[in-house]
Amino acid sequence: MPRVDEPAELKHTPLEIEHKALGAKLGPFAGWLMPIEYAGALSEHEAVRERVGLFDLTHLGKVDVAGPGAMGMLQQVVTNDVEKAAVGEALYSLVLNEGGGVIEDLITYRLDEERFFVVPNAANAQRVLQILEETPADDRVHLMYHQDWCFLAVQGPESVHVVQDLFPGTADLAFMQCVESEYKRRPVIVTRSGYTGEVGFELFTFQDIAHDLWRALRQAMEPYGGAACGLAARDVLRLEMGYPLYGQDLFESSTALEAGLSWAVSFDKGEFRGRASLLRQREEGLPSQLVGLRMHERRHIPRAHYPVFIDDQLIGEVTSGTFSPLLQTGIGLAYIWPADVAAVGDTVEVDIRGRRGAAEVVRPPFVARSPR
Amino acid sequence: MEFPEELRYTKEHEWARTEGERVRVGITDFAQDALGDVVYVDLPEIGAKIQAHQPFGEVESTKSVSDVYSPLAGTIVERNPLIEERPELVNEQPYGDGWLVVIAPDDPRATDGLLDAEAYRSFTEDGAA
Repeated sequence: MPRVDEPAELKHTPLEIEHKALGAKLGPFAGWLMPIEYAGALSEHEAVRERVGLFDLTHLGKVDVAGPGAMGMLQQVVTNDVEKAAVGEALYSLVLNEGGGVIEDLITYRLDEERFFVVPNAANAQRVLQILEETPADDRVHLMYHQDWCFLAVQGPESVHVVQDLFPGTADLAFMQCVESEYKRRPVIVTRSGYTGEVGFELFTFQDIAHDLWRALRQAMEPYGGAACGLAARDVLRLEMGYPLYGQDLFESSTALEAGLSWAVSFDKGEFRGRASLLRQREEGLPSQLVGLRMHERRHIPRAHYPVFIDDQLIGEVTSGTFSPLLQTGIGLAYIWPADVAAVGDTVEVDIRGRRGAAEVVRPPFVARSPR
Repeated sequence: MEFPEELRYTKEHEWARTEGERVRVGITDFAQDALGDVVYVDLPEIGAKIQAHQPFGEVESTKSVSDVYSPLAGTIVERNPLIEERPELVNEQPYGDGWLVVIAPDDPRATDGLLDAEAYRSFTEDGAA
């Protein structure tokens, strides 16, 4: 079975030359050299919120899980009930350790009755593959890591027209639906999904048509004022929606429940990794929880690891933060402890390099946008 | 990337322009490009005393926050009144309307010890950041 190479050095997207031609700033992300920004995070953010943006996300993992034992294997590994996904539907799930801590969040696409396509984070692809391999299957399962695939995302209100231009019929896809299409006679998985809070599509295909597809998408979005967008803009977009990011807001020392992701956990589907621990924690109460923080003043921008206080009592730590261009103020995600130390609407203080900034505890999303 | 000849530079990526007995200070084109879109600038009050090579303010972008170091010792006599409302000026005109403060230096010859344009350009090209 093909293996993911250990990242001795940075991996390269096949589109690097396209990014350089557009003047992108490239930087390391999860073992890959990826475009961080082109024109700038703010203008790229605006393109996605108001028009359309194109992202290269080739660093994300792409794993096929197929065969009569595939469903049974996935059900033991991921938290959500994969049976709930009909053919042509996708499902957000977590992979937990036995303690209920989050090893990974991923999306599972059901391409056929017994054929699934799993997209883990770049840094975790090997780990997820290993967990799947070690899971006893009750029937045949073929696991396949696609080293030779690329992953593009088209996000924003005009994305429907752009993708429809190249892939007729995809405008009818509902949120979290997927279809197998083709481009230049090569297979392309087209899904109505994303990580920006806007209507959007994600496209998976072979790297040998990456350039053609990238250029065709750029051309198709030109009439709509589209822009190539980097990972910096993507981080701002996902934070405005309060979407947690693996490695930043999700890690093994916090459980799915503490991360506020119980909606992606199906307790009644049967046994899965971490289930017993989550049930116990649900009984005993949560030691911490992930909340949104909206700063009162524009000049206060929370950043990862800033401590959170109520008066002199340390009650939490910021895990992600940025400046929200839509709200024109600082926003962030933070774990607070114990979970009930502050409620939505309460005021807490973030220690910003020695100065206190007041923040309101909110339930994300921070902005009124919807990907549906 | 611009490195105006008439300016002096620091290895922390500030520029200094001598204007009579005063010195105008900002961050360089290289610095603003590395930072990304600036969303907030924190500057000292007029009258504040600042030390050479010590942080006197902060420039915050969507990505991160960076200290701004003073090229010389002195007293703040002006701060850019536009920058609070329009922090993007730091990106758009780092050597123009995106200036940060004007300093009355303790030592009128203090800028002599800073890098000239050519030395600063080489410094940035050597991969220093």
